[in-house]
Amino acid sequence: MKIAINIGTAVFPNPVTVASGTFGHAEEFYGQEEVKKLGALVPKTVTLNAQQGNPPKRICETPAGMINAIGIENPGIDRFIDVKLPRLKAAGVPLIISISAHSEDDFVLMVEKLNEAGGLSAIELNLSCPNLQKKELVAQSAEATSGVVRRVKNVSHYPVIAKLSPNVTDITAIALAAEEAGADGLSMVNTFMAMAIDIRKRRSRIGNFTGGLSGPAIRPIAVRMVCETAARVKIPIIGMGGITNADDALEFLIAGASMVAVGTYNFVDPRAPLTVLEGIKAYMRAHRMTDIRELIGSIER
Amino acid sequence: MKNIQGVYKVAGLTRVNDIYYRLALEAPELARLVKPGQFIHIKVSAGLEPLFRRPFSVYRAVGGKVEIFFEPVGKGSRLLAGCKKGDLLDVLGPLGRPFSLPSRDVRQVVFIAGGVGVAPFMLFSDQIVKHKAAKVLLYGGRSKAHTFPLNEFKKNAVKAFVATDDGSAGVPGRVSELFGRIDIAPTTFIYACGPRPMLAAVAAFAREKGLKGEASMEEVMACGLGACLGCSIPTSQGYQTVCHDGPVFDLQDLVFP
Repeated sequence: MKIAINIGTAVFPNPVTVASGTFGHAEEFYGQEEVKKLGALVPKTVTLNAQQGNPPKRICETPAGMINAIGIENPGIDRFIDVKLPRLKAAGVPLIISISAHSEDDFVLMVEKLNEAGGLSAIELNLSCPNLQKKELVAQSAEATSGVVRRVKNVSHYPVIAKLSPNVTDITAIALAAEEAGADGLSMVNTFMAMAIDIRKRRSRIGNFTGGLSGPAIRPIAVRMVCETAARVKIPIIGMGGITNADDALEFLIAGASMVAVGTYNFVDPRAPLTVLEGIKAYMRAHRMTDIRELIGSIER
Repeated sequence: MKNIQGVYKVAGLTRVNDIYYRLALEAPELARLVKPGQFIHIKVSAGLEPLFRRPFSVYRAVGGKVEIFFEPVGKGSRLLAGCKKGDLLDVLGPLGRPFSLPSRDVRQVVFIAGGVGVAPFMLFSDQIVKHKAAKVLLYGGRSKAHTFPLNEFKKNAVKAFVATDDGSAGVPGRVSELFGRIDIAPTTFIYACGPRPMLAAVAAFAREKGLKGEASMEEVMACGLGACLGCSIPTSQGYQTVCHDGPVFDLQDLVFP
């Protein structure tokens, strides 16, 4: 059964990975052999300088979902490369390193550091960061997205994946801009801006006032966005948004995603990615498929 | 997975009084491993509502059974209160940093608990029965109905003192009314678990009197494994996760904004 996926020059042994920020401490709760079953590991987003994150409450549970405003708590790129990266490399799984920055120059600087560190399979650009001097996020502007992707592609030794925000009018326009600027793949989707209110205290249930909604609640919207985008771009898509089991993941693959990522549900069942992979294989066997490409984008249009 | 995920059979659900329940799981491995102050993370629903697991500190671990002690106040704990003997529950655990055992030179062990926060101290007192220190429990609750039957603690030679908000049992007022029972000495060690204002009062008292101790913190939790960084609280070492760096922290490291 052929289930390996290529994104640019990177090869992933299978199509199942994890969404950035949902799979810390892998080495502690997965056995070494179990981690190796993942198609790729995507650690939490790293920024140029260390960030301490947002004050509590950082998360709240919502119907079939959660809102989070963690604030990209991370040790900064240098410490990440010195301390965390060696451990991640030792896991023996292809690594997709997620980065975010406040300017194109900072993105480039981080990519240069990662070039030097070596051992990555790909870089994922978390573009849900402020677009300088504008109210929007980079991922909300085709022009800004294109600008960052182009600058990063100029220097990166690794394939570049642009992670798109769903908080836009037409996500295909942003996807096309990323592709045209040279992105090797797309990750979609990031969280939906949301809020929840404690009616007793008349306060937001999130310390940061608003946050990003994820989990099964968003899945149908994410599937629709992946389906629309897959019809218009040629580069592979890593589909994500509320995947809890193989059936959920199959929706994304059939819609046109080449890979799938389990996100929020890792917090409920840290084994979910492995269950998803087994379920995809079982589906392929049941439908006498020998190559995952028979499945990808197979939706009847 | 390294022994931390399991599906266990409910061995029994007991209603302790009008407020509290005890739930026992048939889980010999878990019972053997769990340390006082650690928690287990229970998937309370087979579906997506509620989505997250719910953390419970372990109340007792004897005879191959792990027991939790809870008040059904939210969506998750109310579902648990509806469990039946023989039901299967998916559990992660034991998780988190436990209380440290009192060193040999400790002469007074002081448990300070508010409401359901008494849970870890039953297991703790079971495990330090042989320690020579005097053991006291300072226990605060809303009313007499909220105070847990304390005879089990007495069996473990723990002297219990009670304060209730409405004065229906013990001393009227907050648990801080009982701080006079604490020996002000370097050989005293405090262990606290309860609502945040209570822990703030304990931390302030310990700081003022130069006492050592630890407290178990609570925060909304998703993964329970230190992955999501959702339950971080400010400490003197920066933000730390309640689920993985805690739930037990040194009293002096806690920051109460």
